Amino acid sequence: MNTENANPVTIVMIEDDEGHARLIERNIRRAGVTNEIVPLASGHAALEYLLGEDESGSVHSKRALLILLDLNLPDMSGVEILQKIKTNAHIKRSPVVVLTTTDDEREIQRCYDQGANVYITKPVNYESFANAIRQLGLFVAVMQVPAAE
Amino acid sequence: MTAQSLGLNTFQSTMLLFAAGALLLLMLVISSFKLSSETEARAAEIAKQRLVRVAARNTSFGLLNAETGQRGFLITGEEIYLEPYYLGAKEARKQLDDLTAQASDPSDLERMAVIAPVVGKKLAEMEQTIALAKSGKRDEALKILASDAGLQYMGALRDNLEAISARADRAVERGLEDLSASAKRLTLTTTIGSLLLASFASLTFYIVANNTGKLQSARQSLQTLTDELEERVKDRTEALTEANEEIQRFAYIVSHDLRAPLVNIMGFTSELETASNKLAGYFTRTALDVDEQTAAGIAVEDIPESIGFIRKSSVKMDGLIGAILKLSREGRRELKRERVQLDDVVETSLASLQHQIEAAGIAVDVEPSLPSVVSDRLALSQVVGNILDNAIKYLAPGRPGAIKITSEESGGRVKLRVTDNGRGIAEKDLTRIFDLFRRAGKPDRPGEGIGLAHVRSLVRVLGGDVTVASKLGEGTTFTVDLPKKMSGQNPSNKEQNA
Repeated sequence: MNTENANPVTIVMIEDDEGHARLIERNIRRAGVTNEIVPLASGHAALEYLLGEDESGSVHSKRALLILLDLNLPDMSGVEILQKIKTNAHIKRSPVVVLTTTDDEREIQRCYDQGANVYITKPVNYESFANAIRQLGLFVAVMQVPAAE
Repeated sequence: MTAQSLGLNTFQSTMLLFAAGALLLLMLVISSFKLSSETEARAAEIAKQRLVRVAARNTSFGLLNAETGQRGFLITGEEIYLEPYYLGAKEARKQLDDLTAQASDPSDLERMAVIAPVVGKKLAEMEQTIALAKSGKRDEALKILASDAGLQYMGALRDNLEAISARADRAVERGLEDLSASAKRLTLTTTIGSLLLASFASLTFYIVANNTGKLQSARQSLQTLTDELEERVKDRTEALTEANEEIQRFAYIVSHDLRAPLVNIMGFTSELETASNKLAGYFTRTALDVDEQTAAGIAVEDIPESIGFIRKSSVKMDGLIGAILKLSREGRRELKRERVQLDDVVETSLASLQHQIEAAGIAVDVEPSLPSVVSDRLALSQVVGNILDNAIKYLAPGRPGAIKITSEESGGRVKLRVTDNGRGIAEKDLTRIFDLFRRAGKPDRPGEGIGLAHVRSLVRVLGGDVTVASKLGEGTTFTVDLPKKMSGQNPSNKEQNA
């Protein structure tokens, strides 16, 4: 847990499905993760938050972000957001966890090619789903996230 | 063309013209032959008349020479005159023989009848006088000479011989005229015939050239039509391919998007279950009155039951969505063209089902050396595997299973047949077994109704077709009809992100 950290990690959750967002949040909390979670329901909202008003990403300077990204967004492709994150000088080092329903191999490959750090398929089976998210929570608790420059 | 008005086609009219030309040529040859043999006969006749004339003249000369010699000898008594006499007499005799041999004209023959004895008499007279003179009776010889007899003989002979000669002359002249006329006829016939032949040849040439031209243009327009048709087939195929891709995209997106709400349904159902379990424990512990016991009953039984149904249905729905997703993904998979031995495919499929085959005691008979095809190995394996799986799964009760695999190759296509002696399929079910989520017969075996739908979609992607023939209770035959060489064009390999 990063509670003692001077710059606690902010979890940015880009997920258009409210239910999914809620289930993810509940299970992360159940894993004992207390970090701030910023829910964003659309691609535009996500980019606005991540890049800031000046669209440079400097708004997150010195902050540590962990980004949870759903690929199926109504307004743009998650891959596009992934590209913007990974090509931005300030936030490119923030770990990105792609969390989506797609289990298409090519899609998974594409995400890793674009610099995704972890790819998780949301299982329809809730036990597996809850399990996966809780494990992600545990993962978040122990991982070192670099601050944005 | 008049030939066309007669209802003849190009080939027939051309052949007719050729036949007419050949007939004309034959007639020309025959008449030339006839005319030339006629000419030859005339020439022979002329030659003969000439011989007659020459013989008549020479007989006359011979006699004159002989007479001159005789007279010279009688007058001078010099022996040198005897030589012309002998030569002349000899010549006259020879020529008279020739004349007799050659003469055939009736008037000639008449004259010859007169001439022949007179010549004899004249020669005899001359011989007699010569003989007399030699034996010294010159006076007697001169007396004979002085009589007019010899003169008369000569006169008669000259007249007749000249007449023959004149007649022969006229005959020769006439013959030459005839000869010239028949030569002219020959020339004329040849000229006309040649002209006719030439015009026939030109006409034939014209028709042939004309028809060849027509044929050429017909072929060109046929080619154009074929090209257009090919173009149209290509367009249609493209449109179909596009439509097919759209359907697959649609299926993919739909099934994919259906999953997202399902995650919520199942997720919150589980959350609800956890919550209701806690509530149920609480109510059971604290229920005091009837109302609270009823509530406890609801929490313990009704809510978990409802949740159980929701969960079960969701799981089922997930299975269905998964199947659609699998099918659409299979359709979108990039096919790999390679040479595939059907032997290998069948063998591998049988090997993976070996356990079930042995457990059920099924006899499998595979035709030796099945053909090879150029196709996608993975898809073929799935097709054969699914069909064999069904054959093993749906045995007829109380009958040991027997599966036979045969093939047939014709016209660039290969048919692979899998025949079983299983429980069979009712006729009314024959079409629906290929539909997604549809099954036939008693649902006493596990299955979701996906296998054959998958088989059909795979076989179609490979450019083939799958058909079924079956008799309920007796067995089923599945026939997979594949192109020997799958076309290089891949109907559904577009990149797709969902």
